Formats: sequence, C-alpha cells, structure tokens
Amino acid sequence: MSFQSIKVLYIDDEENNLQAFKASFRRLYEIYTAISAADGLKILESVNIHVVIADQKMPNITGVEFFKSIAETFPDPIRILLTGYTDIEALADAINHGDIYRYVTKPWNDLELHNSIKNAYDAYRSKIDLRNKIAELEKTNDELNRFIYSISHELRAPLVSVIGIVNLVKMENLYHSSGEYWSLIESCSNKLDYYIQKTLQYYKNNKTQSEESNVDFKLLVADLINLYAYANKDTQFDVNVDQPVPFKGDLFRIEVILGNLISNAIKYQKTNEPNKKVNIEIAVSIECVEINITDNGVGILNEHLEKIFTQFFRSKDHHGSGLGLFIVKEALNKINGRISVKSNIDYGTTFKITIPNAK
Amino acid sequence: MPNELKKIMLIDDNEIDLKINARIITLTKLFEEIIICQSGEESLDYLNKHMDNPEKLPNFILLDIQMPEMDGFDYLDHYKQLPATFTGSCPVAMLSSTLDFGDIKKAEANVYVVKLLKKPLMPMELAELINKKAP
Repeated sequence: MSFQSIKVLYIDDEENNLQAFKASFRRLYEIYTAISAADGLKILESVNIHVVIADQKMPNITGVEFFKSIAETFPDPIRILLTGYTDIEALADAINHGDIYRYVTKPWNDLELHNSIKNAYDAYRSKIDLRNKIAELEKTNDELNRFIYSISHELRAPLVSVIGIVNLVKMENLYHSSGEYWSLIESCSNKLDYYIQKTLQYYKNNKTQSEESNVDFKLLVADLINLYAYANKDTQFDVNVDQPVPFKGDLFRIEVILGNLISNAIKYQKTNEPNKKVNIEIAVSIECVEINITDNGVGILNEHLEKIFTQFFRSKDHHGSGLGLFIVKEALNKINGRISVKSNIDYGTTFKITIPNAK
Repeated sequence: MPNELKKIMLIDDNEIDLKINARIITLTKLFEEIIICQSGEESLDYLNKHMDNPEKLPNFILLDIQMPEMDGFDYLDHYKQLPATFTGSCPVAMLSSTLDFGDIKKAEANVYVVKLLKKPLMPMELAELINKKAP
C-alpha cells in the first residue's frame, strides 16, 4: 500500500523540525509544512489536507488553540499534537477541547509517528465514508418516500374513476341489476382506496415537519365526526370539550390521530347493538390535552392489546387494514404524545391520549 | 335553481372522468349544456373565441388539477387575465383526486376558486355548491 496520496500538514515554528520531518516522511506522504499557524491555515484553505500535525509550543498560539480555531472551518482533517515536554494541562486541554486524535512526544520516534499518521488517515477515511454513506442513505430513503407518494397518487386516480362509475350505476338504478356484483366492486374499491389513503397518511407523517398552529378541538372533532359518520349514521356521539385555554400543536398529526380513532370507533361497533355509542372527552390545560375516546363496540381481546399498535396487526374476526393504529402511534411519536388503551369484550374500548401543549 | 346556470364547462385530460362527470351532471339536471374540454388550452381557446358571444359562454367551470403541460393552477393564471365581466360571473370549482394538503390550501387560497371538490364527483356536493354560489 502506498501512502503517497496521504496529504499531511506539519506546523512547527522550528525550521529544523520541519526539515527532519520532510526527510523522514517525504517518500511516504505528500507533505506540506508551515512555520506558523497562519501559514498552516493558508495551506488548509488551498489543499485538501487529511492529517494535521501541530507543535504545541509555538510563539503566538499553542497547537491546541490552533486546533480549536479550525474546529468549525476545517472539521475533517485528523489532528495529531506534537510536544517536546510533558505538559499535563496541554494534554487535558487537547483531549477535552481540541478534538485531537493522537498525542506524540518530541523528539518523535519515526515508527511511532508513522503509525499515528497511518491510523489517523484510516480514521479520516472512515469519517468521510460514513458521511457519504449517510448522504447516500438519506437520498435513497427520500427517493423511496417520494416513490411511495407518487405511486399512491397515480394508483388513486383511476380507482376514483371506478368509484365514480359505481356512483353512476347507483344513480341510474342499475346497482342491483347484476346480483351483488356491483356492491362487491364497490366494497373492494373502497377498501383499496382506504389502503392508499393510509399509505399517503403514513408517508406524510414521516415526511412533514412539525408545524404548530392553534387547535380548536370542538371544531376539529365535529368536522371529523361529520367526515367519518357520513356513511354510518347509527352511532350516537357524545362529545364534551373543555378548552379554557388555547392549544398549540401539530394540527395535521392531531387530525390523523383523532381521525383514525374516531373512524375505528365507528367501524368496530357490534352489529346487533341497538345503542351504538361513542363518547369523546377532551380536557385542555396549559400543559397538555387529554383525550378519552370510549365506545361500546366489539372490544379488544386482552392478548391482542399489546399488538394493536404494530404494523399490519389485525384480528381474524375483524376486517381492518392493520394500519390505522400503527399510524396513530407513529404520529404520536412525532409529537411526543402518549396513548393507552383499556378494553373489555363485553363493554367496549377506551383510548386515552395525552399530547403536550406547545403554547 | 337560478335560471342563469345553464352551461358548465368540464376541463380534464382524463377521458373516462370526463365521461363519468358529464353523465352525472346530465342525470342531476343541474345544467342544460355541458362544454367538454380535454385541456386547459382547449378551454382558453374556446373562451377567447366566444368572449363576445355571451350565450356560448359557460356559467360554471369544473377544473381538474393534474393535467399534462398546463395544470389546473397554470390554467387559473391564464383565466384571471380574461375580462372581469366574464370571470366575475363564472365561478371555478377544482375537481381532483388529490389528498395533498398543499394542493387543497393552494386551491382554496385562489380568489377565482369557490371550492376544491374531491373525485369522485358527488352530485349532492355539486348541487350544494351551485345553490350557494349562484350569482
């Protein structure tokens, strides 16, 4: 392995040391030397240096001070401190503030310094490699997210046309003209649409930066009930909102969370229950909002309670997508909210949510 | 139903959606005539050609958002340059399968847009909108 391509900068106020360094290492590395910190800085500005070696004791500035001064402007080169005397304070300073990789005593031993430079260069390479890998991963992740987003959009457009045709069939009184085929097409289309909408919600939850705005819970809950109870008017809602103070929070995610829970409360009712009920209690304080959503629906088995927030979990008795509560949990994670659940097969389910007020 | 609302213009690049929406509007009897345009350009050509001929002009426009080349928002930029006597009497509703918050906000912020309707077109929603916004 050749070290010719390793660019080393050595700063020392003693010309003799610079010469000796060059003599020992010029065959191994590409060497740059500077007689002062100012000269060293000039070289750093024009050459992509991998390893910087600085003498601790220089007239205007110590080696540690020099490393500190370039911490922001040149964070990449790996630093090695050289010093002629054992100065415990310099050593402590170097470790604590200088971001220094090695401490080598003067007069140096060629082999020791050579190994230090070699290791420093390896550290430099892994630092740069890691950074490139992270950038690459971020890019791939971003592309993947964007792909999911656009494919969901593209899938939804023709699907919505199909739902439009089913609506037309209803309007033209043809819905029952082919046995149950039209209703089967309708329920499959609605299910597919639901999946696509959840996928988009998941994407947006992952992607969107948290944006704080005022949340009026009374208004929000009324809107959501309107939206989700539209197709199912049997369920009675009892809503109590106590909001004496303003609430600031991430409206998009709160909407996703409440929307999913309200739509679940409607969806998982007992079919033979004459009084389908959903009770929503909301109490806002300066610190947080507490939301309780209670239904008298089918309930959740004890052994399932642990799993309901995981992706694609669904019980075999009910036809969920396995995405709703997973998205609720993900959205709550993004805004530091918490959720707990109590359920009983006979009486129904209560979800309790706490979200901090950003004020 | 006010008498002025006679003609609706549908702008959409998707032929199937044009067919579906035209049929829904025919069945609801909300309009007497439907002008079908497969692009924003086609609509602007039509409007410019008949600008002096009010009985040819629509009283309501349903505009798709995602279209190639000139999309719904580009179309609105051209639309606002038409004579105010016309644009003032012809509200635009956008119609799209979008669930994008950005699109919804952008559409509703535009002064020429009365509402963003989501596909599939619901006859009830259209009727409500027309009754409310009728000049």
